[in-house]
Amino acid sequence: MPSPHNSPVRRLTRAALLTAIALTIFMAEAQIPPPIPIPGVKLGLANIITVYAMYILGPGDTLMILVSRIFLGSVFSGQMMTLLYSLGGGLCCFAAMLVLRRLLDENHLWLASPLSAVFHNLGQILVAAAVMHTWVVISYLPYLVLSGICSGLFTGLCAQMLIRHLNKI
Amino acid sequence: MTKSVKIALGALIAAVILCCGALLLPRKSGTVARITHNGVVIHEIDLEKEHTQRYLEIVAGDGTVLNCISVEPGRIRVEHANCPDQVCVNQGWIRDSALPIVCLPNKLMIEIIGGGEAADAITT
Repeated sequence: MPSPHNSPVRRLTRAALLTAIALTIFMAEAQIPPPIPIPGVKLGLANIITVYAMYILGPGDTLMILVSRIFLGSVFSGQMMTLLYSLGGGLCCFAAMLVLRRLLDENHLWLASPLSAVFHNLGQILVAAAVMHTWVVISYLPYLVLSGICSGLFTGLCAQMLIRHLNKI
Repeated sequence: MTKSVKIALGALIAAVILCCGALLLPRKSGTVARITHNGVVIHEIDLEKEHTQRYLEIVAGDGTVLNCISVEPGRIRVEHANCPDQVCVNQGWIRDSALPIVCLPNKLMIEIIGGGEAADAITT
């Protein structure tokens, strides 16, 4: 018998709830005009949920939440082309986090998150280079990485505080 | 600080320094704008040889106008785009090779490349 804390129903409900929260954050953020007119630059607040899930729920659930959020987010915002870029970035970022969660504990989320953000940017650029059939898009990488590190620091700190406060409950 | 934290912090700082260095690289000055759509070069325009403002339309296979490009002496920009995010329109005029205009939804790219003696307009 699975314990009530680890039953499949509980797990599915928790993943669905987190997906809904991430999707809400994603859609609310999409209403904010982009701060810098460079494609791909954004706050990525929905990744607070991704980072949180990675450290608390584990990789399997995180992948489900991440892929569902990216897919539903693209459907709801009506830009199916962004699905490719988000998916490329998201999966690269996920792979980086798989390694980072073994190296850094949950008191160093502020460090793990910007590093994963860099890999998110690398993934985005690789997809863009493949779609546009050119390496010229590489010139966007420095801008993306710098903005990604800033927003990664912010989302990492948010996730760290989230974990700290939720642990008290 | 444990060893892995130091390595991670070092990698992060290295990434920041590399990016700042890349942003400080000298920019190629050039006057030829190359417009690429779906990976195919559709126009090459010498911006120095432009005398008045003119517009170029990028049209999809089914006849919808994807982007409208505005060309002026020495500079080029996207005037209209049919995508919802309008990032390429907001980027405004470009006049050097620092950052090409990219419209990801429409797979359109405008870059300034070096040299001043390109063929005036290659149209396929």
